[in-house]
Amino acid sequence: MSSEQNLLAALSDAMVEAVARAGDSVVLVDARRRFPASGIAYSSELALTADHVVEREDDIYIQLADGSRKSASLVGRDPGADLALLRVSGGGLTAAEPALEPARVGQLVLALGRPTEEGIQASLGVVSAVGGPARTGRGGLLEKFLRTDTIPYPGFSGGPLIDAAGRVLGLNTSGLAPGGMALTLPTQLAWQTAEALARHGRVRRGYLGIRSQPVMIPAAQQRSLGREQETGLLLIGVEEDSPAASGGLLIGDILVGLAGEPIIDPDQLLSRLAGSLVGQSVMVEILRGGQPMTIQVTIGERK
Amino acid sequence: MNFTTLAFNGLSDALAASAAEVVREVQRSLVALHNGRHGVGAGMIWRKDAEGAYILTNNHVVAQGRSLRASLENGAVFPARLIAEDVEVDLALLHIETQDPPTITLADSRDLHVGQYVLAIGHPWGQRGVVTAGLISSLSKAHTRGPRGEIEIIRSDARLAPGNSGGPLVNAWGAVIGVNTLIVGGDQGIALPSHIADEFVNLALSQPTSKGD
Repeated sequence: MSSEQNLLAALSDAMVEAVARAGDSVVLVDARRRFPASGIAYSSELALTADHVVEREDDIYIQLADGSRKSASLVGRDPGADLALLRVSGGGLTAAEPALEPARVGQLVLALGRPTEEGIQASLGVVSAVGGPARTGRGGLLEKFLRTDTIPYPGFSGGPLIDAAGRVLGLNTSGLAPGGMALTLPTQLAWQTAEALARHGRVRRGYLGIRSQPVMIPAAQQRSLGREQETGLLLIGVEEDSPAASGGLLIGDILVGLAGEPIIDPDQLLSRLAGSLVGQSVMVEILRGGQPMTIQVTIGERK
Repeated sequence: MNFTTLAFNGLSDALAASAAEVVREVQRSLVALHNGRHGVGAGMIWRKDAEGAYILTNNHVVAQGRSLRASLENGAVFPARLIAEDVEVDLALLHIETQDPPTITLADSRDLHVGQYVLAIGHPWGQRGVVTAGLISSLSKAHTRGPRGEIEIIRSDARLAPGNSGGPLVNAWGAVIGVNTLIVGGDQGIALPSHIADEFVNLALSQPTSKGD
């Protein structure tokens, strides 16, 4: 049977090709006491990996597909998303190719890793679920994550999940979910974080200085708001000298919108603040005494 | 039914047909081994001669077996004679007397690639002819307690269970690339490359003195 007649053989050839192509961009990351983990070449000199596998900040080494071993330095970490960016001295990495479309449930995928010097490793599966938003065990908020039925071999954290064409759908890690269950951070999120780390050395998260709890908004107040929004955030604390205090937010205000977007629960506020609002003066929409108001607040940075 | 469903079903059907054809071919030379003590092990008809078939399996499958019996895919059962064993790589060669047995197709396991589609066929938990699929996850080496010191191993993500031991790991063409074994480090999903198994068979058949009863 030739590959033309045997579809199984054609699939096999395609998978080998995908592993070979994407495998050039998968590096070994040696930055912890135990066995090494994996990383993805983000550019010719930057490699993205899982934060939890970078246990030390000195004597970090990475090994490329061609076997060459190079020293690397830590550019920055985002523990909340379990991501770390490394700069490889001398560069020479083959940047990974991100997938054009987001992963879909049922899609054929391969998890890749390079935890040993013996070469690329792979596991086959499908995208089992697309989840999120969810709080991570590390204090972050994950807007979206993927679950697959690929086998998370030891040292696969930091390696890519790829599609049948060898394009990167996400970064695999067992460091985000409780119990070490493997998840995949979608490429879009991972790449955003990598860009922020490359630019600022950290991921900036916005800071308001409030404590809040979700409350129902009565129908009459929804009408005065001019939209159907069933919940908002009742401020039950405003920190002294915080951006919220400086802007004039008071305990008892109900926060219903930020920078032009409705806010209906704490996760949404956290997600909105995780964006690029740091240092910007934005409109905070509140209900005070049942009346809609907007207040100008300059978003601080969470330290 | 919309077009997408049709396209998927078409592709899926074609893949299933390919897989079924490969599996049918491999199952013809698949053997179930009973050692008179416990469970069922797998084996495969590696070679044939004028008098019968040479069956390759894991040594631990036949170890201490008093009355070895081999049953073929067509249901026929034969007493099997131990020809040679190699504890270091956990292989044993058996012989049964039968006419014109179907033999395996051998692949060159020196030329394997991570990502290749594989099928494992065996008798996990005693169920006959069970097929699991996956890919070659890694190609690495393992230490042995013997003169070889180190051997190449194939790790796949196809699910294996006791009863897959001694059975074939085949590529998308149905050619044998490895012998499934659960022995290396107690790890599941390990196969011994078929070229190592073939070397063992060549050696065993070139030394008539090693033919025991």
